[in-house]
Amino acid sequence: MAPRLLTCWLCCVVALYSGTARSEWGFDATGGFTYDDNLSNAFEADERKGDTAAVVDLAGGYRQQLGDSTSLGLSLLGTSQSYLHYTGLSNIGLGARALLRTKFGLGAEAPWLALAAQGVYHNYHDDNLDGWSYEAGATLGKRFGDRWTVSGSVRYDAYVANSTPPVIIPGLSGSPYDVYGWNVGVQARFLATESDLVSLSYNWRTGTVTSVTEPDLEVLEYSDRVARTTIFGSPEIAYRINANTQTIGIAWSHTLGQHTAFNVAYAYRRSQADSELGAYYANVISITVSYSY
Amino acid sequence: MIAPPAARVAMLVCLTLPACALAARLSASVHGGDGKPLPNAVVVAAPEDGRLPPLTKTTEVVDQIDKEFVPYVKAVRAGSYVQFPNKDNIRHHVYSFSPPKKFELPLYSGTPAVPVLFDKPGIVKLGCNIHDWMLGYIYVAETPYFGKSARDGRVEVDQLPPGRYQVRVWHPLMQGSETATVQRVELRDETPTRVEWTLKLNPEYRPRRTPLPGEPGYR
Repeated sequence: MAPRLLTCWLCCVVALYSGTARSEWGFDATGGFTYDDNLSNAFEADERKGDTAAVVDLAGGYRQQLGDSTSLGLSLLGTSQSYLHYTGLSNIGLGARALLRTKFGLGAEAPWLALAAQGVYHNYHDDNLDGWSYEAGATLGKRFGDRWTVSGSVRYDAYVANSTPPVIIPGLSGSPYDVYGWNVGVQARFLATESDLVSLSYNWRTGTVTSVTEPDLEVLEYSDRVARTTIFGSPEIAYRINANTQTIGIAWSHTLGQHTAFNVAYAYRRSQADSELGAYYANVISITVSYSY
Repeated sequence: MIAPPAARVAMLVCLTLPACALAARLSASVHGGDGKPLPNAVVVAAPEDGRLPPLTKTTEVVDQIDKEFVPYVKAVRAGSYVQFPNKDNIRHHVYSFSPPKKFELPLYSGTPAVPVLFDKPGIVKLGCNIHDWMLGYIYVAETPYFGKSARDGRVEVDQLPPGRYQVRVWHPLMQGSETATVQRVELRDETPTRVEWTLKLNPEYRPRRTPLPGEPGYR
C-alpha cells in the first residue's frame, strides 16, 4: 500500500510542477534532539521510561497558487527518530502532505485558513509497531499588528499498525498501537525581538492512548486491547485506554539568517484516563535547528 | 537684430557656464543610534523659495528578487512612474495600503504592462500578499533633490541650484517624525555643504520567513 500511495503522490507533485512554471518549489528540514521523560505513558513513577532521540524531519514539494489568495501545496515527508537507549522505538517514516491555504483579504494581517492532511508510514523494524500515522485538520489564524499571531486548530489523528499481535487475553484482541484522537488547540506567537519568536500553545485531545506497564490485572479491567512487548527491555504489556490529554507548550525560535532558525521547545503533557487508572504526565524538551529553502 | 552664429554660441556658453559653476552640492551622513552608518535613509532638500524644475516623466524600478523587494527603499519624485518587475520564477501579488498610493498588482509574473504612478508625496509601504515577509518602501519626494544613503551611511545630492534649503532625513525604522530632522542650510557653490543625522531606530518586526519546526513555511 505504501509504495502505491507514495507513487501516486509523486505523480501529483510532478504533474503540479510540470503544469506550470509558476509552482513554487520548497524544502524544509529540521534536525536536533528531543527528550521525553515518559515514553511509556506510565501511570506509576517507577515505570516511567525516559530517553533522548535524534530527530530529523524533511519536507519537500511544490506549492501552486490557485488564485489571488489560495494555494495548494503537496509535499513528500521524511522523518527519523533514533533513540539512544530504547532503540526499539527508533523509526523512519516516509509520507506525504497536502496543504490548502487561503487568505480572507489582502495583507499580512488578513485572516487565513489552512486545511492539511498527511499520511506517514513508520518503519520500526517491528511488525507490531510498523504502521501508518494519519492527520487531518484545519487551522484558522490571524496576525495582530507586527508582533502577535494567534491561531486555533481542530485536528484528527490516528495510528494504524500493520499487524495485530498475538492474543494474550481472550476478549482483548487487536493492536494496542492502533490509536486515534480528536484535537482542539490554540496557539499564540509573539515576536519578542526582530529575530526571536516565542510561542505558547495549548492542545486538548480526546481519544485513545497506548501505555506500557508490568503485567497488572487492574489495567486489564479498563483496557480494550493488550499485547506483550519488550520494547523497553523487560517483558511488559502494552495496553490501550481512553484518555483526555492536555498539552501546554512554550517554544523559543531564534532566526539565524533568512533561512535558518534555532529552536528550543518544552511541553508538559498530562493524560487523564477515562477510568479509575488516574493520570500520567510527561515532560518533553526539544532542541532543533530548522532550515527552509 | 539677429546676432551672428558665433555670437549666439558665445552667449549660450556665457549663460550656461555660470549656472554649472554655481551648482551646489549637499553631502549628508546618517548614523543609527548605535553610531554605525545607516543605509537606506532618504535625504531630501526642499528649496525654501519653492522653486522646482519642471517634472520630466521618469519610470523607476522596484524588483522582486528571491522573494524580497529590491531595493528595500526607493526614492522617487512625485509624478514618477514605478515598474514592479517580478524576477522570480514564481508569482507575486504586490500591494500597498498607504494613503499616498493605494494600489494592488494581483498575482503576476514578469513585468506588469502598466507602471504605477506615484503622484502624491509621502511614504508608500509595499507588501506581497503571497509572501508576507516581503517588505519595501517607496519614498515619494516633492522635490527632485534627494538621495539615499549607501552602506557607509553617506548621501551625495548634487546639481542643486544655489539657495536656501530645508533638508531632512527619513528612514523606515526611525523613531519620531521626519519633520523633526529638518535642518536649514544655504548652498552656495560646489564645495559640499555637510549635514549629519543620528537616528534612533525601532526594531523591524516582519513575519517569519523561516518556518517553525513541524510547520510548513509560508513560501
